[in-house]
Amino acid sequence: MTRLSGGLIDRSKVLSFTFDGVRYSGHPGDTLASALLANGVQLMGRSFKYHRPRGVVSSGSEEPNALVELRSGNRQEPNTRATVAELFDGLEARSQNYLGRLDRDLLAVNDLLSPFFAAGFYYKTFMWPKAFWEKLYEPAIRRAAGLGRVAEGADPDAYDKGFLHADLLVIGGGAAGLAAALTAGRAGAKVILADEDSRFGGRLLAESHLLDGAPATQWIEGVLAELCTMPNVRLLPRTTVFGVYDHGIYGAVERVADHLPTPGAGVRQTLWRITAKRAVLAAGATERHIPFADNDRPGILLGGALRAYANRWATAPGTDRPVAIFTCHDEGHRTALDLQARGVPVAAVIDSRNDAVAQGDYRLIAGGQVSGSQGRLGLRGISVTTASGTEAIACGALGVSGGWNPNVHLSSHHRGRPVWDDTLGAFVPGPGGPGGLLVAGAARGKGSTALALADGAEIARQALAELSITAPVIALPQAEDTAPNGTTLWHVPGKGRAWVDFQNDVTVKDIALAHKENMRPVEHLKRWTTLGMATDQGKTANVTALAVMAELTGKTIAETGTTIFRPPYTGVSLAVLGGGDTGPDFRPRRLTPTDVFAKSQGAAFVEVGQWMRAQYFPKPGETHWRQSVDREVIAVRRDVGLCDVTTLGKVDVQGADAGEFLNRLYSNMMGTLKVGMVRYGLMLREDGFAYDDGTCARLAAHHYVVTTTTANAGLVFRNMEFARQCLWPELDVQLISTTDAWAQIAVAGPKSRALLERIVDGFDLSNAAFPFMACAELTICGGLRARLFRISFSGEMAYEIAVPARYGNALMERLMQQGADLGVTPYGTEALAVLRIEKGHAAGAELNGQATAAMLGLGRMVSQKKDSIGAIMSRREGLAGETRRLVGLIPEDGQGAIPGGAHLFTEGAARNMETDQGWVTSTCHSPHLGHPIALGYLEGGDTRLDEVVIAANPLEGTETRVRVVSPHFIDPEGERLRG
Amino acid sequence: MAEPLIPVTALGGTAPKVQGFGPLTLSERPDVALASLAPLRAGQLPDLPLPGPKDLAEAGGLWSFRTTAEAWMILAEGRAEEDFAARIAALAPGCAVTEQTDGWAMIEVTGEAAALERLLEKLVNLDPALLAPGHAARTALHHMGCFVLRPGAGQLWLLGMRSSAGSLWHAVAQAVQFQVVTLAERAQD
Amino acid sequence: MLIPHPLLGLRDAAEFTYLGDAALLNRPDPGAGEAAFCDYVYLRDNPAGVHRELWYHEQGDRSWLVVTRNTLTHEILGAELARDVKGGAA
Repeated sequence: MTRLSGGLIDRSKVLSFTFDGVRYSGHPGDTLASALLANGVQLMGRSFKYHRPRGVVSSGSEEPNALVELRSGNRQEPNTRATVAELFDGLEARSQNYLGRLDRDLLAVNDLLSPFFAAGFYYKTFMWPKAFWEKLYEPAIRRAAGLGRVAEGADPDAYDKGFLHADLLVIGGGAAGLAAALTAGRAGAKVILADEDSRFGGRLLAESHLLDGAPATQWIEGVLAELCTMPNVRLLPRTTVFGVYDHGIYGAVERVADHLPTPGAGVRQTLWRITAKRAVLAAGATERHIPFADNDRPGILLGGALRAYANRWATAPGTDRPVAIFTCHDEGHRTALDLQARGVPVAAVIDSRNDAVAQGDYRLIAGGQVSGSQGRLGLRGISVTTASGTEAIACGALGVSGGWNPNVHLSSHHRGRPVWDDTLGAFVPGPGGPGGLLVAGAARGKGSTALALADGAEIARQALAELSITAPVIALPQAEDTAPNGTTLWHVPGKGRAWVDFQNDVTVKDIALAHKENMRPVEHLKRWTTLGMATDQGKTANVTALAVMAELTGKTIAETGTTIFRPPYTGVSLAVLGGGDTGPDFRPRRLTPTDVFAKSQGAAFVEVGQWMRAQYFPKPGETHWRQSVDREVIAVRRDVGLCDVTTLGKVDVQGADAGEFLNRLYSNMMGTLKVGMVRYGLMLREDGFAYDDGTCARLAAHHYVVTTTTANAGLVFRNMEFARQCLWPELDVQLISTTDAWAQIAVAGPKSRALLERIVDGFDLSNAAFPFMACAELTICGGLRARLFRISFSGEMAYEIAVPARYGNALMERLMQQGADLGVTPYGTEALAVLRIEKGHAAGAELNGQATAAMLGLGRMVSQKKDSIGAIMSRREGLAGETRRLVGLIPEDGQGAIPGGAHLFTEGAARNMETDQGWVTSTCHSPHLGHPIALGYLEGGDTRLDEVVIAANPLEGTETRVRVVSPHFIDPEGERLRG
Repeated sequence: MAEPLIPVTALGGTAPKVQGFGPLTLSERPDVALASLAPLRAGQLPDLPLPGPKDLAEAGGLWSFRTTAEAWMILAEGRAEEDFAARIAALAPGCAVTEQTDGWAMIEVTGEAAALERLLEKLVNLDPALLAPGHAARTALHHMGCFVLRPGAGQLWLLGMRSSAGSLWHAVAQAVQFQVVTLAERAQD
Repeated sequence: MLIPHPLLGLRDAAEFTYLGDAALLNRPDPGAGEAAFCDYVYLRDNPAGVHRELWYHEQGDRSWLVVTRNTLTHEILGAELARDVKGGAA
């Protein structure tokens, strides 16, 4: 155990966890990384490409190395940074990307083969022989290179989403963020303060600085206590704001229960969509390392991370040897002092500056650079080179401090280009970033505690002033205010491999090679070397890499420029992006009014858009769907059937100009329809092709009810509103959907009238009083208001009866009961389809967007007397000249199935595009005729009755000889309808 | 002679569904009657509450809110069995009135105002100011078009398409359940 | 994105359905002939810059809006009810 005194861990509780099967213990407040270090574990994984042993480098979300698998079974989660995984009792963690044992990874051979894996190797190697790629190279690379393994099964946890609105979103809860939130909170603004950590405070938690002479945690707790009392402030700990979107919309993930073994009955994570009038980015800064030969050994960390582990988590890596510091900056000296204060021996501070001065009682090597390291699985010592030679220093850990890079990420999400600040020696947020996003504190280079506090408060005031909210000047605590003092040191020159990007295994040599191969623009450098393209997006690597490139090209860093960051800031799980709705709740379902009845009958259901419709109603003994469907079809043709047709879109059209409005929407005349009558209507698209069909019932002079197909209900309504609002707002007409309000049941078959007579309240259903295409409002079953339409989709005498939706189920049951002696039969969508094919009615397969009214045999429905949507374009040459027509098709041998989608050819003709005569649109078995039938479009079809053509299905290599017949397989004269 | 037909609720029951979750209670409200009202050119504005586009108004037991730029919905509790549209039409000559009672399913959520507001965060992407008591909005809720009405601080009315009442109930009930669990976990932290 | 609905204020773009060039408001007179309709149906401007376009508040109040938007920056310069725009033109 390497526990120091102090720290922000709760020593009163012990948490037990395992890493690679070995049991360890830690405390609440620990991360997996801090607990492993406290247990003396430094080796945490293997690198991506070369399988080099790796340990933790950082103490935060920028971690490139310590990626582990957490949990097991279906909760197994790869590539979690040990530095942000909160420890809980029973946590299971495993290292990843090795073969055999972590400490004896068999794939470490890759490291010896490194000359073959140089920059751009993806593009250069494994290119030949070509056939080897798929069979040999790719599988081998996939096995060797990679990260963790995902769970095989479905994620058992729940996720959800939510929406927040604020005047000011503060991103990051360190010194600047807390000052910003407090300023805005006291101003009464609606504030959200989000921080990725479980605890607010940012670097204040990691440093030893005092605020007003007391530990920083005291001030933090005071601020949080005050913020908690403000109803206008929302605190979101464990929440990463991962992206900025247009107009002040921010994506954030709250890890609600990642710190618990399981979320239980709650959610694991919440996806927040935050709409904020202004935002303050107070995301702090990330420390730079300094590449030198073999700088990737476990035990070599960022200096700031060493301080964080010592101050916050009371631990230090390297148990048996002292710690060394490598710096070009005063920061390194602070690390030495903090470690010494916690009782950690310091071997030396190696400062590259010749004029460096020791700030305490430790050995200083001024003008020195670390030029190498030793130790197989953990650091044992370093080589230090000065003007006078090279010295070996034994140490168990090395803290490297190369200065700080402001966390500009979110400010570059709208192509905002960071700009180089020579004084700071860093990129700071530039112009052109997301509107409404202001940057404060270390994220724009104001890194001392005092500067960050003041800047957070000031930027919040500026942001609120833009919203005309005056914020008070708040009292800030006395804080450390040392000006940054240091130089930049981008890498230590030398022969060995010096790592720049740890996660993707990119070295200084790789950058030099890219330079040699002329991949010099930063975007090319990035892609050629894969630098910054790992899961950490190069948070610890990018700036160093382009500085090295600048050095090689002899340009300044400002001239070299930088790449920009995309969302997400850190990885976001697909599960939380999905928002949690899975399985049957994946999307809303719409149930028909007779759903209870259909389920009681054991109906099979089919999804039609969002609707769940009864597909067929199997009876005991029926083992194949065709048996049920054939029986249902025959019942309609012989007796009477019932089908829920509520799903057809219904639109109520009212107003003095309702008739004129419908005249312009439908290709045929609707204004001339008599009250109490229904007319079939055809809508065209403005380009002249057939769009949708339905019926139009005139209930009163200024009141119509129109129906649409089920599939197009929403679209047609949208188009009707477009016509009303955008084309002809001068018309006096109002629209509202009534699809859900009325349950509508088709009562179809020769006995339909007999059945309905049993439920209507003294309404005369005789042909004379209520002929084909009549409609009426009436009452049924002793006073219930209803609407009756004498329309038919099946070709039989038929009605559709509508009642308020809540009565739909009871009406269905009543009709079943009243019609028992008439052979009444419920039928589903399959029988509905068979009935309409037998009758030759067009449906979705015929109204496919490529059909003209003439092709459907409805050419006469396009009125030549008036304008309507699509009328003009339907008359243009290409459409008017269309000669394919809807025909019926029957197999010449009387039994062969006619495949849907088959193309039609003249007998003896070649089978190619030039000779194509049309295609089969709909096909089924006709129980009425006892053989397969089909509908299709055939060139000149109306003049080719009785001709035999070929229905070819080249996909399966089959052909069927089919005879062309009328598309009306039953009752072509329409006598049944009018009976 | 004919027995009257027995209605079912939008959730398919003969009695309205009611379920309590911690500080909040969900109730199906099949008693609510609805009619849409849109003035036509020839008519004049009727003597009914006709609020602005973001508001919910009430007078004489009739609630009203805007559905479109040109139309309102009139809502009355306990009157679903009447021919409500006909009665509203009688009050509003020259207006297009359409029966909507069965076009919608209403789920009422009652309880602590703070809990209701937390719930709304998980359901709709609207600034809470638009959902303060006395407000109404039409928006998407879990991909379903809905009216969100706030008659009182501790009362929320959600109107969704009748056919998707089950999905709406599921979405709301699940969100309430998650909230209860999360609050309990926070209390333990 | 947020669409500034003239009656309802800022509403999330997810509530809207996008159609495109507001030139669709200008349906030719039926007597204008086939060529005019061909232009109307098939030809749209797609400028890199300020664009007047139609958005439908499908998950809201069912208004068709004419939104003026800079397609390069997504800045929204204004939004009006289409029927008002049309009324003004008529």
